[in-house]
Amino acid sequence: MLYTLFVVNKAGGLIYQQNFSETAAKLSSNDYLRLASTFHSIQAISRQLSPVHSRFGFGIERIETDTFVLQAFQSQTGVKFVVTASPETKNLKNFLRRLYELYADYVLKNPFYELDMPIRCELWETMLQRAVEDHQRASS
Amino acid sequence: MELRRFTQPNKPTNTTTVSNSEIAKWNILDRPLTRSRDELALSTFSFLFAEAVQYLQTRVQQVSELEDKLNQLGYRVGQRALELLYFRERINKREIRIVSILGFIRVQLWKFLFKKSADYLKKVTDREDEYYIEEEEPLVNRFISVPKDFGQLNCAAFMAGIIRGALDSAGFTASVSAHYIHRAESSRRAVSIFMIRLEESVMNRERRLAG
Amino acid sequence: MSSSTSRSSTWNKLGDAAYAKSEKVSADLVALTYGSFVREIIKDYEEPDQVNKELEKLGYNIGIRLIEDFLAKSGVGNCSSFEESAEIISRVAFKMFLGIRATVSNWNNEYNSCSIIFEENPLAEYVELPPEYSNALLYSNMLCGVIRGALEMVQIIVECEFVKDQLRGDDTNEIRIRFKEILQEQVPWNDEE
Repeated sequence: MLYTLFVVNKAGGLIYQQNFSETAAKLSSNDYLRLASTFHSIQAISRQLSPVHSRFGFGIERIETDTFVLQAFQSQTGVKFVVTASPETKNLKNFLRRLYELYADYVLKNPFYELDMPIRCELWETMLQRAVEDHQRASS
Repeated sequence: MELRRFTQPNKPTNTTTVSNSEIAKWNILDRPLTRSRDELALSTFSFLFAEAVQYLQTRVQQVSELEDKLNQLGYRVGQRALELLYFRERINKREIRIVSILGFIRVQLWKFLFKKSADYLKKVTDREDEYYIEEEEPLVNRFISVPKDFGQLNCAAFMAGIIRGALDSAGFTASVSAHYIHRAESSRRAVSIFMIRLEESVMNRERRLAG
Repeated sequence: MSSSTSRSSTWNKLGDAAYAKSEKVSADLVALTYGSFVREIIKDYEEPDQVNKELEKLGYNIGIRLIEDFLAKSGVGNCSSFEESAEIISRVAFKMFLGIRATVSNWNNEYNSCSIIFEENPLAEYVELPPEYSNALLYSNMLCGVIRGALEMVQIIVECEFVKDQLRGDDTNEIRIRFKEILQEQVPWNDEE
């Protein structure tokens, strides 16, 4: 089961957050912002741990806990898609790839969207909802 | 910046005496206009169109001005597209009646530019000079979400401009505007209509032809 | 050499696949819309030099967005070096977005500058420049901006310039790309004093 999605811009700013489940933890918007920028920093720092230096390793991709998993995808431009889900949830990687495509279509091809700013696009919401339903159908 | 003229030049008989710039000119004229070009990715068009909207937006104060500018941008496309289509399809017969030119735009021109016919062409009841073309999902709006503070802006004003340009180039002066209409009891997205209002002179001619 | 040949053919295939699977529109719609847009910019700026500059700037705005579409859909992994990026642009990106394949050549000795050459330009279909613009207007200059913007988003800083343009009577179209630098990642704890 999917819990929460964060989209984080290349500077660590939260540009989108959405809960997909009643059971998702509810945080204040300040906490979401803080979480996004902290995760952004941790990812960058974790890259420094890599024995091989690469411009493209994106550090932590997955965090597992007893009650949820966190899966992250970062494009080479630095935009990050982070989703939390129940521990047994499958196909999170593909789900995030799909969201990246939707972002390229319904956010970046929208002339009223300003790069790196919070995402407020009706069609993105619609398509995201559809992707979430597809994912849930496929994994149930 | 003009559409190239549709005349076939005579080829130079002795290319060795032609200067570089002349050769280049021949090259341009030799490009086969009738070849059906490859299609391009929708992404290419969508990014270009989005940038055009942003560019125009920085130059206007009001939503209505933005619509006018989009309409003007489309007008030039429509004008040239119609000429090009007539030439491509070797159409010699020109439409002289309102319903036939509108039908031609709805089907042929639409297919030529958007790869599908427009959904419907209808006459406005009780208005002799008004028609509308309806399109459920105009291509240019595929990825566009209009923010609330832009009111009823419909970026398909660009396509309204295309219709206006094509009509004008066929000798039917008209004003064309794009609108969203919300169908009652439908939760789906609003559909777009292109309101076409023909000029009085066009209507007079039509009456004569009908007479 | 053989590994670079096989990489080239991999990129060609990626380009063909990305082009093949994308939803299409009429190339005429793109060419005519581009022409109408350029016309609008000429109306606003008049001076060819200013128009060229504006076209480049608008292209840059497109490039910084288009790169995500490219990365999301092309299947290209990462652009690691400048050299590789130039090949990827001409073999994958040109094919994906313009339906044509360009070639990379004219490398300088330092290997930090090269040309992207393409015979066919779908943006410039049906265009003849009026005499007052024929030597000054870089009709397709938006492409330079797109390349610059897209590469900047993957941390590669370049300058681009049209050096040959068939619309101006040249035998081909050639964009010169000069490599400037690769942006280094900032380590977060350094700026959190």
